[in-house]
Amino acid sequence: MLTYVIRRILILIPMALIISFLVYLGLELTPGDAVSHMISPEMMASISAERLDALRVSLGLEQPFIVRYWIWLQGMLQGNFGYSTAGGVAIHAILADRLPATLELSAVALVFSTIFGCVLGVISALKRGSTTDNVLTVTGMLGVSIPEFFFGLVAILIFALKLQWLPVGGRLLPGYDSYWDHLPHVIMPALVLSIMMTAGVMRYARSSMLDALSKEYIKTARSKGLPEWRVNLLHGFRVALTPVIVLIGFRLPVLIGGSVIIEQVFQWPGVGSEFISAVRSQDYPLVMMIALLSVMAVLTASLLVDILTALIDPRVRLDK
Amino acid sequence: MSMTNTTGRKTSRLDRQFDLIRRREEAGQLTNPRGYRFARKFLSNRLAAIGLLIFTIIVLVSVLAPLLTPYDPRAIDLRNILKPPTWAHWFGTDKVGRDLLTRVLYGGQISILVGLGSALASAVVGVLIGCYTGYVGGWRDALAMRVSEIFMSFPQIILVLLLVAILGQSLSNLIIIFILTGWGGIYRLARARMLSLREEEYVQALRSFGLSTPIICYKHILPNALGPIMVNITLSTAAFILAEAGLSFLGLGVPLDIPTWGNILNVAQDLRILENNWWVWLPVGIVISLFVLSVNFIGDGLRDATDPTQQG
Repeated sequence: MLTYVIRRILILIPMALIISFLVYLGLELTPGDAVSHMISPEMMASISAERLDALRVSLGLEQPFIVRYWIWLQGMLQGNFGYSTAGGVAIHAILADRLPATLELSAVALVFSTIFGCVLGVISALKRGSTTDNVLTVTGMLGVSIPEFFFGLVAILIFALKLQWLPVGGRLLPGYDSYWDHLPHVIMPALVLSIMMTAGVMRYARSSMLDALSKEYIKTARSKGLPEWRVNLLHGFRVALTPVIVLIGFRLPVLIGGSVIIEQVFQWPGVGSEFISAVRSQDYPLVMMIALLSVMAVLTASLLVDILTALIDPRVRLDK
Repeated sequence: MSMTNTTGRKTSRLDRQFDLIRRREEAGQLTNPRGYRFARKFLSNRLAAIGLLIFTIIVLVSVLAPLLTPYDPRAIDLRNILKPPTWAHWFGTDKVGRDLLTRVLYGGQISILVGLGSALASAVVGVLIGCYTGYVGGWRDALAMRVSEIFMSFPQIILVLLLVAILGQSLSNLIIIFILTGWGGIYRLARARMLSLREEEYVQALRSFGLSTPIICYKHILPNALGPIMVNITLSTAAFILAEAGLSFLGLGVPLDIPTWGNILNVAQDLRILENNWWVWLPVGIVISLFVLSVNFIGDGLRDATDPTQQG
């Protein structure tokens, strides 16, 4: 198991390096040079041109591209992400401020969609061909076909504007900061965000469950006289779970992508809405850094998925 | 005794059917039996047939928009601002008095063009690369695989927005960006099919005839991989239409002066419009959903019709 994990990590490192290199290349090609990304604008105003040049030399900016990349990478690893050109704020401070909100939203959506998706998918598979199954299948199709932000708009209209049960958007009112004060704010965006993913998980859970139920050992388990729920859940669902976990891992990009738009619809103060305003104001350092961060999140998620599948299904470990 | 009887009857009936088929074949009536079976199977799937119907209707009314509506999608009429639906304006009018039905129809032209066009173009790129590198293998294959991995490790919308920030906003840029972010999926599919098909015996036979590599992979192997590729094109059309709508809703997709479905929805970010003027955003949202749903139904039907093992 340990060698498997180590091998996975070793595959990941060159990938992360290449992508960070591309991001650095992008930063070099877009307007503004590294000094302006590293020094906050207030300081920049009070520094003379000679000192800036001296600083460029001391930072190694006259050195070849590869060396500059190496210096930048070292800074990145120490948490020095540079400065946003729009506000002159350190990017790590922006991320520290915005990341918890996005993680909160994504985590709640992930939990919702996994539970709903698995339960509905298994029900649909066990009642294959019935009206319930057909209704669930068509509902799932609707779920992936309606744009998420449109769902969000309808939800805001009904639950926030007409019924006034939930707030229109935002994360916290000033003065309220306990976790329970978040709850009414997070429910609507998280549910809307999880709709598309629930539909995907459901579809996948259904076909994976059908696949598992057609196996020989299910017949064996039945013929041993085990109760039906044991056959379905312990023998069928456990095996069916592996592809579902893989799907959830691969859906992480979708979740991050979805949260960009949903955060904007609900004015959720997360990384996604920050990303959009950075794209609007062409704040390249911030855009690149958030993109790099999301890639790293995806790569880490795929690593975790690999490890989890190996834990659940021992055959994977022995493969290759 | 009864068994021989039934088998005897069955064989004679089968014989008669076979004779019939042979007669038709000789008469040249069975030109494309595979395509015929495919079409029948596709249409017997009720959802796929409904999907095809909705799809055709929406495409037709969008293309024929200039004949169907007397209004100009950009004509501003300040005497009729935010009017609810009437007989003169079926979907009502927007903030500057433009007829919304007209805008939805003309918007459909651009949205469908972006969705379908990007899906087809990224399929062409993906298939060209995937078939060739999958067939020849070696360093070309490894290189293409690494490049696609880099593209696919970005969450799609993040990569799209990143490229929007770098390239700037325009209709053609958006299509280019969609192709750049979309080719990877079809490339992988084509490559995977190629890896298994290139081991088939007929491929070895073609190779021993001395046919050139492009002819073998594009003319002889590719048609056998077409089923899943077609399904993938439909599904990515749906995805691109949703992406265009999302981006334009944010104001980062197609420039706002061109009517598209997403651009019409853009105004719904204003809570007052959201609450008081439902006709501005609700119908167009429903049209997008219907269209994407119909494309998804078609995709599902295509999958069932081309690949019986996927039927569930």
